[in-house]
Amino acid sequence: MSEKNMEQVLLVDTVPALEQKLAEVREAQQIFSSYTQEQVDKIFTAAAIAANKARIPLAKLAVEETGMGVVEDKVIKNHYASEYIYNAYRDTKTCGVIEEDSAYGIKKIAEPIGVVAAVIPTTNPTSTAIFKTLICLKTRNGIIISPHPRAKRSTIEAAKVVLEAAVKAGAPKGIIGWIDIPSLELTDTLMKEADIILATGGPGMVKAAYSSGKPALGVGAGNTPAVIDASADVVLAVNSIIHSKTFDNGMICASEQSVIVDTKIYKAVKDEFTARGCYFLSKSELDKVRKTILINGSLNAKIVGQSAYTIAQLAGVSVPEATKILIGEVTSVDLSEEFAHEKLSPVLAMYKAKDFDDAVDKASHLIADGGYGHTSSLYINTSTESEKIAVFSEAMKTCRILINTPSSHGGIGDLYNFKMAPSLTLGCGSWGGNSVSENVGVKHLLNIKTVAERRENMLWFRAPEKVYFKKGCLPVALNELKNVMGKKKAFIVTDQFLYKNGYTKCVTDKLDELGIMHTTFYDVAPDPTLACAEEGAKAMKLFEPDCIIAIGGGSAMDAGKIMWVMYEHPDVDFMDMAMRFMDIRKRIYTFPKMGEKAYFIAVPTSSGTGSEVTPFAVITDQNSGIKYPLADYELLPKMAIVDADMMMNQPKGLTSASGIDALTHALEAYASIMATDYTDGLALKAMKNIFEYLPSAYENGANDVKAREQMATASTLAGMAFANAFLGVCHSMAHKLGAFHHLPHGVANALLITEVMRFNAAEVPAKMGTFSQYQYPHCKERYVECADFLKIPGKNDDEKLENFIAAIEELKEKVGIKKTIRDYGVDEKEFLRTLDEMTEQAFDDQCTGENPRYPLMKEIKAMYLKAYYGKPVEV
Amino acid sequence: MKKCISQNELKSVYVEDGTAKKIFAADYNKSDVLYEALNTARVEDAGVDIPKLLAVSVENGQWSITSEYIDGITLTELISKHPEKAAVYIRKMAEYQVEFQKKTNPLLLKLKDKLVRQINDLKELDSSIKYELLTRLNTMPKHTKLCHGDYCPDNIIVHTDDDANITDITAVDWVHATQGNASADIANTYLMLKLQYGDSFEGIDGSIADLYMSDFCEITGTNQTYVTGWLPIVAAARMTKNKAGEKELLEHWVNIVDFQ
Repeated sequence: MSEKNMEQVLLVDTVPALEQKLAEVREAQQIFSSYTQEQVDKIFTAAAIAANKARIPLAKLAVEETGMGVVEDKVIKNHYASEYIYNAYRDTKTCGVIEEDSAYGIKKIAEPIGVVAAVIPTTNPTSTAIFKTLICLKTRNGIIISPHPRAKRSTIEAAKVVLEAAVKAGAPKGIIGWIDIPSLELTDTLMKEADIILATGGPGMVKAAYSSGKPALGVGAGNTPAVIDASADVVLAVNSIIHSKTFDNGMICASEQSVIVDTKIYKAVKDEFTARGCYFLSKSELDKVRKTILINGSLNAKIVGQSAYTIAQLAGVSVPEATKILIGEVTSVDLSEEFAHEKLSPVLAMYKAKDFDDAVDKASHLIADGGYGHTSSLYINTSTESEKIAVFSEAMKTCRILINTPSSHGGIGDLYNFKMAPSLTLGCGSWGGNSVSENVGVKHLLNIKTVAERRENMLWFRAPEKVYFKKGCLPVALNELKNVMGKKKAFIVTDQFLYKNGYTKCVTDKLDELGIMHTTFYDVAPDPTLACAEEGAKAMKLFEPDCIIAIGGGSAMDAGKIMWVMYEHPDVDFMDMAMRFMDIRKRIYTFPKMGEKAYFIAVPTSSGTGSEVTPFAVITDQNSGIKYPLADYELLPKMAIVDADMMMNQPKGLTSASGIDALTHALEAYASIMATDYTDGLALKAMKNIFEYLPSAYENGANDVKAREQMATASTLAGMAFANAFLGVCHSMAHKLGAFHHLPHGVANALLITEVMRFNAAEVPAKMGTFSQYQYPHCKERYVECADFLKIPGKNDDEKLENFIAAIEELKEKVGIKKTIRDYGVDEKEFLRTLDEMTEQAFDDQCTGENPRYPLMKEIKAMYLKAYYGKPVEV
Repeated sequence: MKKCISQNELKSVYVEDGTAKKIFAADYNKSDVLYEALNTARVEDAGVDIPKLLAVSVENGQWSITSEYIDGITLTELISKHPEKAAVYIRKMAEYQVEFQKKTNPLLLKLKDKLVRQINDLKELDSSIKYELLTRLNTMPKHTKLCHGDYCPDNIIVHTDDDANITDITAVDWVHATQGNASADIANTYLMLKLQYGDSFEGIDGSIADLYMSDFCEITGTNQTYVTGWLPIVAAARMTKNKAGEKELLEHWVNIVDFQ
């Protein structure tokens, strides 16, 4: 390619010319966007080398054109902008797939943003141009530079050097462009039309960038205070500050503007500054310099980047020509004090602080004056003063807090520190009106696409560590308390009926035999209350058991679980524990660790609730009537003893209601979006047992021992199924129906389950349940699987489903379940009055989330109505 | 009786029967005359109590604007008669400005547009300074308050009581009126006061201009730096008047850079 081709032929001096240039760069960027990492890295290397080689001529040109700064320091800046940026990003992946994790199914792909509008200031024209063009090349972006009129030649020359080398190394021609004759109109147009803005400059330009409507990475003004603590190494501190403040005549935006010195070392600091060639202004000289550095509160253009000597001359102050810094000893940190401003020149304010806190206050104030978000600096003994460093770090509203570091060199990163990105565009966070608070680098010029494959989260199966079963197993199982665990004190929780009728005697006799002390709390009523649990917990606290045995139906076992929580963790808040969750693994509340004081054993006396193997407990607030369902695997009993002997004499009503409850557990666990092969087997076998043995258990009670035992097994199997797969909207609705209209829980489920099955079986539901493993509305298939397992015939799926539902209805009838809610004597008016509230509460019940069909409230309402009247009704 | 109260080569003002007639030179651009009349009428429409515009006419090829005549003396005259009361007068001047700045008329020219045009047209400024000034102007908040544009003691007519206290105050010459940021108009007046009275005034701590600015900031609760931020911009706009005596000060004031 000839030299001429690489030159920018089009002169960009008007809006139409800029539009044309934008189109050219956009076209080049389109081509560039398909380059490989290898091609890009080759270009990046060549461009960095070229910029590095041109560091001296570019530095000379910048000083000559702007009349500001120091050639030798600008050489360092150019060197830094090429070498450090190259070194930092040489191995960074910026093209295509940059990160992949096949286990999690996540891939991150880097794409260029497009055309970058780069606003470049007068203070660092060539180095900033090198920096921005290099990071754009590395990220496959096009760039158009808007130079400051005062530095346009040198800025453009730097861009040309990079462009030429890039094109030679294979970059598309015209990938870097610039405005030849800068004006605000062109800068504004560029910012509005580019894809992103890299605006380095003062607040005016940064604000313009942010107002352009395009995403902008801008930086704001700095007003860096340097605090010198009494513990600091004075020689290091003073010479670092001199080194930094004189660097390029103080034009780095991170440069120190004021130094705040603890009174204890003030003299030593002052002496060191003087000894190293700095000049302390007298009172009258101070006023002269004040008037020179600012004009009506704005920075005088004539002093920017000038030497201390030149500025002194402008102010009419006589100082030695070699003077490094003009220092004004001032007291006010308000903006009315000229020295409190940023000065962009080797002019420094010096404050005396009475102590460290005073110094921090002053520094905070100076930052508020005009350096929000930029940089602050502290000189201190890091070995002994970590507390002060923490105080300073917390107080400074700056995105860079530099310790014992010249701030000009420290702020730009990677020179005097590690892990701070090298950059000539320093983000100032929201404090400075920026979108980034770190040093700007290649990552800010990439669009990262995340390709996330569908994954199913880890599932689980959890059950009590010991589940003992077989008719007559209770005393054998209890042996362990003594022989294996060495327990000494057992606390029995049960209800009055069981206690008074001697159902707990077999347990207490056994405990006596084992020599385990025991006491019995037998005041658990159905729907146990918090007050009851508190009373039980109080008794536990006095008795201090190392073992709790809950004997009974769901109420006694649930009450026992809650007492257990209260006994182990007296400070827990029920409202926190009862908080609803979407995913038990991601719940906000962390349930306290259980079992540290007492071992919990559950002994069911009815075949239904499954509470002996579930992580659930329901407790009612006696004052408000609100039921708090608690759910956490910490609530799992440690041992479940399922002994049919304990269930032999269940009354018929209980056999029927709890039997249908267990069936509902199995059906809902099978239909749940969280059902797994692990729970399916349990649920199916439970259903089979119930279909086969519930009628006889109901009819024959203790006379059919096998039926009782099979029902006991079914109940616990179903419990383990729903302890892991959870339930569904039938239980949501049954919970509220029971609470509002005092129907036994099993009966409430029985009245709703077939309605819910029809609802769930819809192949075009209004909404389906949300869970990664639930792929499509397949609940009908699931019910048919159950029907098949139960050997319920049918020509096709629909017929099987209908027959399955009919079989359930038949089973319900056999065990004395009435047809409708109305049949149970629920007053129609009262039912309708509470219907909306019941509906909303059912919708919000913890069980709803796992239902395969996500129910709309009107759908819940319709099901309630149908279950009430036995036919579809609209109200 | 027709009485000439001011005269220069561009225009003469005659007072007769309670009206003031401003007669423009024959070669005066008629669009400037009509703009002045329209702009003044728009200020009237905004609800400011100013001498009412009565007629725009042409006689013998000379355009003229006739409006109500307000008797009284200018604030410049009053200050020179009673310099000891300057601080009180300046306060009054600031209060009056704050009052009319509460008015607005959406049809008035926008101050920001006018300033951009003025700065872009300046031959005296290099592109760097223009760039800095326009960048700053670009970020200044846009408001729609009534700005006089030439609010200085010469354009304020006052009446006083026997103790030389101002009883009535009216601003005249609204040809430069715009809608815009009140602080810009304050900065403009500050600049004019600085040019008129310099850095100090006997009996006042500091300058008349500084006193006026602090009065404004106190009345309105405005941060002084917000007003001073406008100074380089209004100073550049003032350069369009091309007055030799002002050149040095204006060139100094405009030569600023943004903090970085």
